[in-house]
Amino acid sequence: MNRLCRIHLRPTLQALSGVLLGLCIASGHARADALGDIKQRGKLICGTQSTSVPYAYQDAQTRTFVGYDVDICAAIAKGLGVPLEHKPLSTEARIPELKTGRVDMVAGSMAYLPERAEQVDFSLQYLQGAIRVLVKEKSGIKTLAGLEGHKVCASKGSSSAAIASRVLKKSKVLMLQDVAACYLGLQDDKVDGFTAGELVLKRFEVESQTSGDRTIVLEEPTFVERMGVVVNKGNPELLAAVNNALLELDKSGGLNAIYDKWLGAGSVYKLTRAFKVEPVNLQ
Amino acid sequence: MEFQLSFLTSGDVPSLLLSGLVTTVRLFCGAWILGFVVALTLVGLRTIPFAPLTMLVTVFVAYHRNVPTVVQIMVWYFGMPSVLPEPVRLWVNRSDTEFLFALVALGLNVSAYMSEDIRSGLRAIPHTQLEAARSIGLSAFAALRYVTLPQAIRIGLPPLINRTLILFKDTSLAMAIGVAELTYQVKAIENLTFRSFEVFTASTLLYLAASLSLMGIGAWFAKHYPPPYRS
Amino acid sequence: MLDILHRYWTLLLVGSWPNGPLGGFAATLILAGAGILISFPLAIGLGMARVSPLSLFRWPATVWVYTFRGIPLIMIIFWAYFVVPAMTGFKVPPFGTALCAIVVYESAFLAEIVRAGLNGLPPGQIEAARSIGLSYGQAMRHVILPQALVNMIPSLVNQFVSTIKATSIVYIIGVEEVTFAAMQVNSVEMTRALPTFLVLAGYYFVACASLTYAAHRIEMYIARRRVQPAGQKPIVADAVEVAG
Repeated sequence: MNRLCRIHLRPTLQALSGVLLGLCIASGHARADALGDIKQRGKLICGTQSTSVPYAYQDAQTRTFVGYDVDICAAIAKGLGVPLEHKPLSTEARIPELKTGRVDMVAGSMAYLPERAEQVDFSLQYLQGAIRVLVKEKSGIKTLAGLEGHKVCASKGSSSAAIASRVLKKSKVLMLQDVAACYLGLQDDKVDGFTAGELVLKRFEVESQTSGDRTIVLEEPTFVERMGVVVNKGNPELLAAVNNALLELDKSGGLNAIYDKWLGAGSVYKLTRAFKVEPVNLQ
Repeated sequence: MEFQLSFLTSGDVPSLLLSGLVTTVRLFCGAWILGFVVALTLVGLRTIPFAPLTMLVTVFVAYHRNVPTVVQIMVWYFGMPSVLPEPVRLWVNRSDTEFLFALVALGLNVSAYMSEDIRSGLRAIPHTQLEAARSIGLSAFAALRYVTLPQAIRIGLPPLINRTLILFKDTSLAMAIGVAELTYQVKAIENLTFRSFEVFTASTLLYLAASLSLMGIGAWFAKHYPPPYRS
Repeated sequence: MLDILHRYWTLLLVGSWPNGPLGGFAATLILAGAGILISFPLAIGLGMARVSPLSLFRWPATVWVYTFRGIPLIMIIFWAYFVVPAMTGFKVPPFGTALCAIVVYESAFLAEIVRAGLNGLPPGQIEAARSIGLSYGQAMRHVILPQALVNMIPSLVNQFVSTIKATSIVYIIGVEEVTFAAMQVNSVEMTRALPTFLVLAGYYFVACASLTYAAHRIEMYIARRRVQPAGQKPIVADAVEVAG
């Protein structure tokens, strides 16, 4: 094993330190003037999620990317006065793409969390969502306290998962692949609760009226998510420009229109807008 | 933005990563043992000249090689309980069976590949070995067990080590049904803190270290049990 | 299940082309096919280097094989996409990065299979080949490699099939191959996970089974052309055996 270590480990370790050095170089690339770069380049590269209905997903008929976040990106681009280049991103790559400067901002329905704010800057909130829990009607659970000692499912990589671990301390949080897997788990009695954003749960609640066991969404939310557009730290001008664009969008009624189209009267969710465009870190 | 390796030693991070690593190693060991035992069984079954049995082995190998591993795990987790009787199903759904189902799914998946790798080794052995073994009176099964199989495993060792390494990395697929192994923990930390590069570095280094250990064990094995002609 | 196929077949087949990059099953096939075609010759070279008596060839090949077998493919793709452009200033599109990562990853595994094949042959073969005057290269090409590679066909097919399925990981850098397309369908349909998964599994099954069948046909062809000792059946897996 000694001989093995001497011969094979060393070159590999040297290669790895090269990689880490490269990362340090990469880290020095944090843009200090992203707004200037955007104006110079002549377009805004805005990233969103890629498989999240109704925020950013691929429309099956036109096979282009559409959604609430995509429209927000378009509105910000208009506010900055440049055309938009939309980039769909995977969950793993969304922050690395921002940090390495391959996208200028990410509008990925990302909720404000203090830990996250250490790494990136959040704009004013452009969306608010409540995280709730879906349970089977026949389970008799009416409040969050009723979930103590039970298994609750959340979709991996979502803020609901991180929040569920904090708020539902006495329940066991299980993270499954995606919301469809969680709903299946709920119907199969693998879990007693399913926590996700209220939109997602609304769709499942409606679906369950016609097939499977009936489910209801608990009134009490586990958390109210305040979502903002994220940009790299150290770019106050860009942040200010984005915030201005959002305020303008709100004043002109454009935000209401986008909300109604994807989340409100014009969608299956029929929610009413209950948030203001204000800083994300208000309690 | 700064790349701070010190983040990895702060707060909950080391204990989360360690618990993930422990789960990964447990899942890997269980699946490997199950896979190896089943692979040997499959190789033995193929020697029995009974057509339906050979067909069964073929279908088993075909299914486990051609269907994506993550789909196999899902079939076990979501599909299997629905064919069990009601009381068993309720017990299964209530307890922590994610780990068990992932273990079974991964074990059977790797067994199909390993049986093919052992079969590669068998083909490299000259037919005269088998003829000589039969002509001194050994049954087909005994010839396999005492003469050809030991040689086959030694010849097929590099592909078997390949498969072992792939199995270790496939344990991350168990994340799809919620097993809290290493990749799951890494993603959970990244989701909360947005420190992507730091945690992905940790993940890469941990997987690399584990794989190098496995390769070291394989190299030791190859040195002490070399293929027949290269002693 | 059929209605999912009917409604989403374009998305599953070609992704967002022509409105975007090529995706879906087409992307999977191109990525897997090109990956196999490029990594296999590379792996033969690496396998030969691994058993070479010259340490000039042996050590780099060993480091290559140890490194790329040890790192998960998802991490290779991740680092290749984010770190390599930072270090070299050279931006490669996602599809190219994914292809290179797959080639590099698979070549390490295939090299070990080639090495097993080379080591599994009796030393008498190379001795006899050299003693009738063949050079090293000629001996390898005409005597050693044909036997070694044909012996290892089951393991090689194993690894090729793995390559086809490994392509599903490239979604993280934005290559919209068939698993990504299925995830889109799942996201829109929400409660029809099982039929969507079955369609996805069906695509992979067709690709992998075709490859296995093609490998079997090649094997039969080679066996027919081989000289066998009188009275002995050609040593090749039955159609029934390998068709899986």
